[in-house]
Amino acid sequence: MKRSIGTRTEITDLNAPAITVKNLHKSFRLPTEQAFGLKQAFFNRLRGIKGYKEQKVLKGLDFEIKQGEFLGIVGRNGSGKSTLLKILAGIYYPEKGEVTINGNLVPFIELGVGFNPELTGRENVYLNGALLGFSNTEMDAMYNDIWKFAELEPFQDQKLKNYSSGMQVRLAFSIAIRARGDILLLDEVLAVGDAAFQQKCTNYFESLKENHQTVVLVTHSMENVRKFCTRAILLDDGKIVKDGDPNKIADAYLKLWS
Amino acid sequence: MSIPRVLNRKNRILLKELTKTDFKIRYQGSVLGYLWALLRPLMMFAILYIVFAKLLKIGNDIPHYPVYLLCGTTMWSFFTECTSQGIQAIVIRGDLLRKISFPKYIVVVSATLTAVINMLINLVVILIFALINGVTPSFSWLLAIPAILELYLLSLGIAFLLGSINVKYRDITSIWDVLIQALFYAVPIIYPITMVASSSEIAAKIILLNPIAQAIQDIRFNLITPETITAWNYINSPLIIIPILLVITALILGAIVFRRKSKFFAEEV
Repeated sequence: MKRSIGTRTEITDLNAPAITVKNLHKSFRLPTEQAFGLKQAFFNRLRGIKGYKEQKVLKGLDFEIKQGEFLGIVGRNGSGKSTLLKILAGIYYPEKGEVTINGNLVPFIELGVGFNPELTGRENVYLNGALLGFSNTEMDAMYNDIWKFAELEPFQDQKLKNYSSGMQVRLAFSIAIRARGDILLLDEVLAVGDAAFQQKCTNYFESLKENHQTVVLVTHSMENVRKFCTRAILLDDGKIVKDGDPNKIADAYLKLWS
Repeated sequence: MSIPRVLNRKNRILLKELTKTDFKIRYQGSVLGYLWALLRPLMMFAILYIVFAKLLKIGNDIPHYPVYLLCGTTMWSFFTECTSQGIQAIVIRGDLLRKISFPKYIVVVSATLTAVINMLINLVVILIFALINGVTPSFSWLLAIPAILELYLLSLGIAFLLGSINVKYRDITSIWDVLIQALFYAVPIIYPITMVASSSEIAAKIILLNPIAQAIQDIRFNLITPETITAWNYINSPLIIIPILLVITALILGAIVFRRKSKFFAEEV
């Protein structure tokens, strides 16, 4: 059961595009009827059943992201947006094709990865920081800023399970925005928290745009696409159907249902 | 994968934080906390000591038998903890694998490191007990290090190999639980190997070819008493390399299977 594998290379070249994707394909093997477990695997082999169904998710994508671009990726549920982001992040392997990442890439597939409810806020900050690649000394330096931004200073030594979910995402967001990379990958982690905190988030994204930070953003909010993105891509059924001006892409996205 | 990349700064930080978290979580919410890392093996030792040394009167011919027994049970717990935690690590940390990109071996190694820390704490207790029991400290204590390392490498090989398969076939966890029960009796921990040797030399030799038994006897030989039967002083044939070969095989096989399967952990876990 050999599976073919594409390539994902990392380079550092100031003049090259931030991300280059060529003929990218990806399919998943979805286990059919209880393929988990040795017994079923044995019977499946005996009967000559594969035990899984091949689901094609990305069907040949080609695009480049220039340095300094704020790219929005939009499309309906199941169109392959998150899979694409995970391949760019190096979490999934490309099945066919080439992905070239130029520079240091920091992915946010989800806020608060590794957060543990049994640990205190303080311990979680250090743990989450380590997952983002920060050392303890670096975390010490930014520790107070994180709590100040999250406006949760009084709760530092409470266990995370005693935080409300809104408080948790605020803390996670405050850590996430400390990450510095040449390319940021964001999966639907824009505005979180209450109205006041959302304004802070918006300010952060505006500063990214002003500083010409390369960002790849997966979102369903056309408002954000129009506001922040310098370019957008519309995915449908694993293919790029439109690529270009964010306003036009947002319109095309809304027309998908009409 | 070159060595400098394997141990780069980011991976080291990650390994440290994950191990720390594992250790903290394990004893979260218990009154005695970290003390349990000590108490659990000591209590297990107490039970075995009462049943086997006092009631069944086994091991009277071995000097310092209580410490000898404690040494065996501690190293055995180390092996079982290392393998069972290591095998389950990928599934337990599935959440991380699905959301961030990092070398997957880190989750397995960090799970086994918790067991290493526990073992080291207990090793201190063994040495203290040994001194109380009248064992004279000597440089041979240092010779226990390679044997402990061997036991660790074996566990790591098994964890990588079975852990990779466990992602798809969760039966592995249950199979290993049963297997480890059987293995417990195949290793001379609660019974002295002399008992087997007195009725059948061949059986004793076969038992000693098991790398777990060989390593534990070596540790006892160097830490507790040179009167211990080890593979080296008992088997006089080239077969003696079998335990070492088994450890190397487990490591290589584990590495190969893990490298091949780990590419798809994020999708399959």
